[in-house]
Amino acid sequence: MLEMFQYDFMIRAFLAGIIIAILAAISGSFIVLRRYSMITETLAHSALVGVAVGVIAGTNPLWIAVIAALVSAWTIEYLRSNFHLYSDSVLAIILSGSLALAVIIVSLADAFNSSLFSYLFGSILSVTQEDLIVMSVFGVIALTLLGIFYKELYFIAYDEEVARTSGIKVDLLNFLLVSIVAIIIALSIRIVGTLLIGAMMVIPTVAALRFRQGFAKTILIALIFSLLAVIVGMSSSYFFSLPSGATIVLTLLFIFIFSLIVNRR
Amino acid sequence: MSMTFISPIFEVKNLSFTANEQKILEDISLTILPGDYCAIIGPNGGGKTTLIRLLLGLEKPTQGRIELFGQKLSRFKRWYKVGYVPQRASQLDQNFPATVLEVVKMGRIAQQGLFSRATQADNDAINEAMVKMDVLDIQHKLVGELSGGQRQRVMIARALASKPEVLILDEPNTGVDVISQKRFYKLLKELNEEENMTIIFITHDIGVIADDIGRLFTVNQTLLTCNNPKEAISCDDMSALYGIDAHLIHNHHHH
Repeated sequence: MLEMFQYDFMIRAFLAGIIIAILAAISGSFIVLRRYSMITETLAHSALVGVAVGVIAGTNPLWIAVIAALVSAWTIEYLRSNFHLYSDSVLAIILSGSLALAVIIVSLADAFNSSLFSYLFGSILSVTQEDLIVMSVFGVIALTLLGIFYKELYFIAYDEEVARTSGIKVDLLNFLLVSIVAIIIALSIRIVGTLLIGAMMVIPTVAALRFRQGFAKTILIALIFSLLAVIVGMSSSYFFSLPSGATIVLTLLFIFIFSLIVNRR
Repeated sequence: MSMTFISPIFEVKNLSFTANEQKILEDISLTILPGDYCAIIGPNGGGKTTLIRLLLGLEKPTQGRIELFGQKLSRFKRWYKVGYVPQRASQLDQNFPATVLEVVKMGRIAQQGLFSRATQADNDAINEAMVKMDVLDIQHKLVGELSGGQRQRVMIARALASKPEVLILDEPNTGVDVISQKRFYKLLKELNEEENMTIIFITHDIGVIADDIGRLFTVNQTLLTCNNPKEAISCDDMSALYGIDAHLIHNHHHH
């Protein structure tokens, strides 16, 4: 089993996977509790536009994906707060719009190929040294911000209005949270893939909620599930030559079913 | 410490609020002083909740101005001085992962520095609020598992954790049994009398009002006020309240 770590790409993949697992579980918990899970799908599709641009430009797509996801997140928040549109409609519009744009860019460049496939569903073979550096830098920034503001974000998730009247800068923190989530999603596409990252953000928390604990314990359980899924998923990706995003998400699904059965009420 | 004059907690002048071209509140002026024990009553849709939301800065007035602790509301920063218990307190998501302790701690967050951990003062305030509201024994329970009365006390404990000088409650008794309600009003009165905390709440329990309310604000788009609640209940206000004979009784406040 451990012989997979004789390959450098596997070590890089595992390091990248662990960074993603931690970030996705923690930031995902706030998103799930705010009933905002679908933003992960939308931002993932927006990141795909960045990937498409990166693929045809022949540069590392990770940076461009981060920028595309951030622009998308800010557009969503701008539309939501300034035009009084329903959140889910805004998400649907930006999701389809991003996908259409990505498909056109890819078609024009005639770039439907295996590297694109790996961005859609993840690949343990694809994590480069540069990716790992980009992920570590953004990962540390995102984790630090979550660490600083997690109490405020928790208060807002529970009771936005009272948080506002107690003097917490709710609008600023909402903006910060979607920005962090956008960055995490863009970073995850190497390992999990754009089409599957949503599950990675949402399932660990939803499964952890079944155990009916306080917030601190719920996050801890989500973190354990997330790490477990990444380790099991990436190992099976290696042994069975399957896309890592798919094996990780299927592992998460088993964890979810397990937590449903264990906590039947 | 001697004070030669008392500065008001809230000073509201000619406040109007319009939403979707519909007048919700019109020309409301009132002054609330430290230690006041105020009830706001009025028919549904009469603008009670809107008035409270305006006082809390959750809505922006169409006209008029509000001062809080002598400062324009838009510039007010010391929000820890104001505790708020919303109407939905008893109806929040039952599955939300939060223990009683975690919820009460929220009341302290805005005061803590961004990088600093909870200080002794924070922990003391949290503990004191839980003792006062009698939720110390259930501090590790999930809020979703509590009764309506218990949950209400937790929400008030959260508001008290910031050591506010004024406590604002919107129909705090929604979904709470009668025994808990009585206990609750006793607690409010104690906070008011023993700690000189200013209390402002919206209620439907007219019986409670008549007993020991200091000041009564009757709101139905405009302010129909009697300072003596017993008179308010017996006088024309009740008919005015329900729109039969609406004449205004202006709250006499200093100019």
